[in-house]
Amino acid sequence: MKVLVLGISGSPHRHGNTEMLLDSFLSGAENQEALIEKVVLRDLNYSPCKACNACHKTGECIVNDDLNMLFNRILNVDCLAVASPIYSMGITAELKGVIDRAQYLWAKKFILKTLYFTNNHIRKHKGLFISTAGLSWDHVFDTAFPIITAFFNATGFEYYDNIIANDMDRYGGIQEHPTALKDAFSKGVEVVRAIEKLKRDL
Amino acid sequence: MVIKVLAFAGSPRRGGNSETLLDWMLDAMRNESNVVVEKILLIEANINPCMGCNMCEKLNKCVQRDGMDIIHDKIIEADCIILAAPIFCMGVCSQAKALIDRAQVFRSRKYVLKLPIIPPERKGKRLGVFLSTAGQKWDYVFDAAIPSVKCFFNVIEVKERDIHYLMINGVDERGAILSHPTAYQDAKNLAREVVSNLRTRIGQ
Repeated sequence: MKVLVLGISGSPHRHGNTEMLLDSFLSGAENQEALIEKVVLRDLNYSPCKACNACHKTGECIVNDDLNMLFNRILNVDCLAVASPIYSMGITAELKGVIDRAQYLWAKKFILKTLYFTNNHIRKHKGLFISTAGLSWDHVFDTAFPIITAFFNATGFEYYDNIIANDMDRYGGIQEHPTALKDAFSKGVEVVRAIEKLKRDL
Repeated sequence: MVIKVLAFAGSPRRGGNSETLLDWMLDAMRNESNVVVEKILLIEANINPCMGCNMCEKLNKCVQRDGMDIIHDKIIEADCIILAAPIFCMGVCSQAKALIDRAQVFRSRKYVLKLPIIPPERKGKRLGVFLSTAGQKWDYVFDAAIPSVKCFFNVIEVKERDIHYLMINGVDERGAILSHPTAYQDAKNLAREVVSNLRTRIGQ
């Protein structure tokens, strides 16, 4: 069974620094013979969570749009790479729009108790956060981590690693960064190998 | 001179906890003389996300024509800007993040084009308020929201020391804030403090 890898590009900017970093990660995964798929949020139609809490009773979202398909994909892949640039010290509104809609999974897990991820499931499902930021500050990604953690918890992925590169304004783009694209490629190889091994062993 | 208060209700839920907290504050402000309050619901404000095109670095305006056209001017005119937003998944709800990201035009104006955001005589006289509520009781539940809020106020020319915060955790269901022991009084007190502070600054 091939490892399925889904990359979600949360940047509104096509083929920019973040998407290139995601592409490099996906190439690494493909190089390791994973089946890769990329979804660009900008091309999808979806609305934000309305906080109606209907999902707390039914476990389903009342909104019917492109995210229904996306969440079905997310729940059926082995590896999920979520990519967003940092805007105003946080992930983009596009990606936050998707993450807020994961509320129905939270409701299934904690209110209705109809969804449960076993420890082995979580170990075999790896999530990565991919990001770039213009600023050089070391703490520029800090607000993203708890949000991504919440998302991986809701969707049943172990938060495996970050592929992040700051100081893009100084480098003049990801292609000028000495190591980022290569590191992302290697990480793609590494995570697919790790999942293959866990799928054999567990 | 009239004090202009511009308030954003960021929650997609009408009459929920963060909007209630905001309304308590706005009601108290409306009761003060010479204060004009405008409240904008982000779910009705037609604000698209930032496209990351960076054209504002050249044009000094956004290429998108939507509700932000009007809000842009209101942000400049206001003496006090209040952002109320609930915490969803450890961050501000996406509706509020869209507003914050669209403030990029102010960032380009300030830091790239090096043009003024507000006239010099109004510098240091504006105040910002961040109101928030969260279902979780964790004391760190607001931590990831605050840097983005600071970013927003920084680019619209509200100094970091002039941002007031009122953040109430552990209020989950609709109406939970009504039984919070201090939230109502905290909101009233903050309203009074902010208005009196603004009067001193503006010289009333």
